[in-house]
Amino acid sequence: MTISTKRMVAVAAAATALTVLTACSGGDDTSSTDSSTGTSTGGGGTTLTDIAVWDPYPQHDESSDWAKYLQSCAPEGTTVTRTSAATADLLNNLTSAVKEGNAPDVVLLDNPAVPDAAVSGLLASAADVGMDTAGFDANLAGPGTVDGVTYGVPIGANTLGLYYNADILEASGVDPLTITDWDSLNDALAAVTAAGHKGITFSGIAGEEGVFQALPWFWGAGAQLDDLGSDQAVEAGQLLSDWIGQGYAPKSALTDNQSASWDLFLTGEYAFAENGSWFAKAASELTDFSAVAMPLPGHVGGAAPAPTGGEFVLAPLQKKDAEAHYANASKIIDCLVGADNQVKTADALGYFAANKDLRAAQVAADPIWTPWATSIESAQGRTTDLGPDYTAASAALSTALQASLNAAGDADAVRSAFEQAAQG
Amino acid sequence: MWFVKTSSAAVLAAPTEADEVVVPPRARRRIRPTTWAALGFVAPLLVYVVVLYAYPLYENVSMSLHRFTRATYVTGEAPFTGLDVYREVIASPQFWTTVRQTTVFVVVSLVVQYVGGLALAAFFRRSFPLSSLLRALFLVPWLMPIIVSGTTWQWMMDADSGVLNRFLGLVGIDPVWWLNADHALASVTIANIWLGIPFNLVILYSGMQGIPDELYEAASLDGAGAWRQFWSITFPMLRPVSAITLLLGFVYTLKVVDIIWIMTMGTGSSQTLATWAYSMAFGKGSSAVIKYSEASVVGTILLVVALVMGFVYLAAQRRQEER
Repeated sequence: MTISTKRMVAVAAAATALTVLTACSGGDDTSSTDSSTGTSTGGGGTTLTDIAVWDPYPQHDESSDWAKYLQSCAPEGTTVTRTSAATADLLNNLTSAVKEGNAPDVVLLDNPAVPDAAVSGLLASAADVGMDTAGFDANLAGPGTVDGVTYGVPIGANTLGLYYNADILEASGVDPLTITDWDSLNDALAAVTAAGHKGITFSGIAGEEGVFQALPWFWGAGAQLDDLGSDQAVEAGQLLSDWIGQGYAPKSALTDNQSASWDLFLTGEYAFAENGSWFAKAASELTDFSAVAMPLPGHVGGAAPAPTGGEFVLAPLQKKDAEAHYANASKIIDCLVGADNQVKTADALGYFAANKDLRAAQVAADPIWTPWATSIESAQGRTTDLGPDYTAASAALSTALQASLNAAGDADAVRSAFEQAAQG
Repeated sequence: MWFVKTSSAAVLAAPTEADEVVVPPRARRRIRPTTWAALGFVAPLLVYVVVLYAYPLYENVSMSLHRFTRATYVTGEAPFTGLDVYREVIASPQFWTTVRQTTVFVVVSLVVQYVGGLALAAFFRRSFPLSSLLRALFLVPWLMPIIVSGTTWQWMMDADSGVLNRFLGLVGIDPVWWLNADHALASVTIANIWLGIPFNLVILYSGMQGIPDELYEAASLDGAGAWRQFWSITFPMLRPVSAITLLLGFVYTLKVVDIIWIMTMGTGSSQTLATWAYSMAFGKGSSAVIKYSEASVVGTILLVVALVMGFVYLAAQRRQEER
């Protein structure tokens, strides 16, 4: 090889390296799926054959009921590509995808994130998409409407309840039917711990998950999200703080998420667990002990208003071929939450149908749902009152709750934490 | 945390970059084929530096001077605010607390890691049966994924049933609530020290291999004991290696997010500038409110601190060479 050939090769190699680098610099978002690839132009307008759906269910793999059901929703001649991400990441991923103009056709967002996404301009309204938004229970559909505009509908709903270990309660001489308010719950906790068992597990982790778990006590005390410094709010914080201080609840509640606190309950050492309806099926299949669910009690009795959980089906804003994207989105959404299909979707996800009549049929078909029927009806949307301001209120409440749990019963510390939260 | 990572890389890349960009003086007059080839070889490096360091750095600083919200991504509207966001961040009640916590975390981690690493390196200098196996075992914290070690520390520090409190119970000490707001900083610092010792051990140990044995032989002939040998030979001879170990350790510790996040999510006293920036940038932790501009401000502050440390290191190195 002559010297000049060597040089040529070197320059070529360098140039190749350069091109590769430049090619890598574009499209930094690995999680986004380009949905505009399979374009075919028909007579009337553009139709798209690839439909992208994003969901926050990484736990459901491709062989799950949910994935199979979603695939079966693809209209003829199209294919559905499903991408899953953790709840906390999905909104950020969606933000960059809308910016890049490659948003998915359909996205399933956790309900408290909907107002934030809507006011940031990430979502197309239900009217633009041609979505049917009628027939959903008002308390469950609430988070989908922001400033009078409806963006989407619930894919289903879940909520929180109080599980108890029937074996421990029986051995400690506690009748679950007597637990109707906070005082009787505290009496029961005193009785089981006196009998050598542990009390209650709940998730007090910083952030939305911990707030979700605290809201039944917060609302059950009569507190409102727009007044975090009220006496009722302080009472709710004090209840949880005392559980730590009295040793009824584990100190790890401070960092436990809902799965971790459920795992603690599964050890069979704890008498109670505050946790979600999504564990109802697992609870019914336990063999070590008998776990039963009941509604969470309010401060002075009755079922506490628990927050509604679950995702909303939404169509993100499209910059290109919007009509074709929305046409596909509305077909998928109809397949997921249309009246004939709601129960199928809910069953695939372990959720409740978001329509009262359909839910009644669902509950009647499976006895494990019976104790949850009242919980879901008295549940309320987290963002219904505050809309997009909920995110900041939740952050303030989370800080106050963390401080309350740290206080381990110290009443002054709990009060000052909530007063500080009220000031923002 | 790309904006924090780049800070360390930029500091480290600076000297090498200067070495390689030097163009032979003759080539300036007429561009020869060899010069083209040289440029061709330099180009990938330049592109690499611009795309992966300069551009993100520029974006980070630019973001800190504009008001970014989630809606900015769709509308493109990010009004220029000058230093307003800097003022807001520095005036916020969290800022100085976080700076103090970061300082404690970095200084305590660095000092204990260095002393521990140095002691172990000196211990392993003399080989004895199984010494290499034992030394390899000390590397385990470094090799283990942090998600594993972080979660394990969280379990061990569990207030009710953690193994740490059980040990304390054996010697009659009351259980400690390791991960509560007051103790969180101490807990994450302990875990971080454990993580950092192997790094210090490896670098200082290899530095000790470069010290000639003759020095020790001569010293022992003169009657110097082990302690005297350490302070008069090992420690001074290790000074350049110690400087780079401490600089790297400083930059690594300053930008630690993972171990803290896994153990406490940066709650209570364990919030450092790095975890604060992370939680604001991505809406993680207590607040899901996105604060891109505020996060960029904290990122830029971290960057400046790391840069300053880089210059301190360069100055120290120059002084050493002049001697």
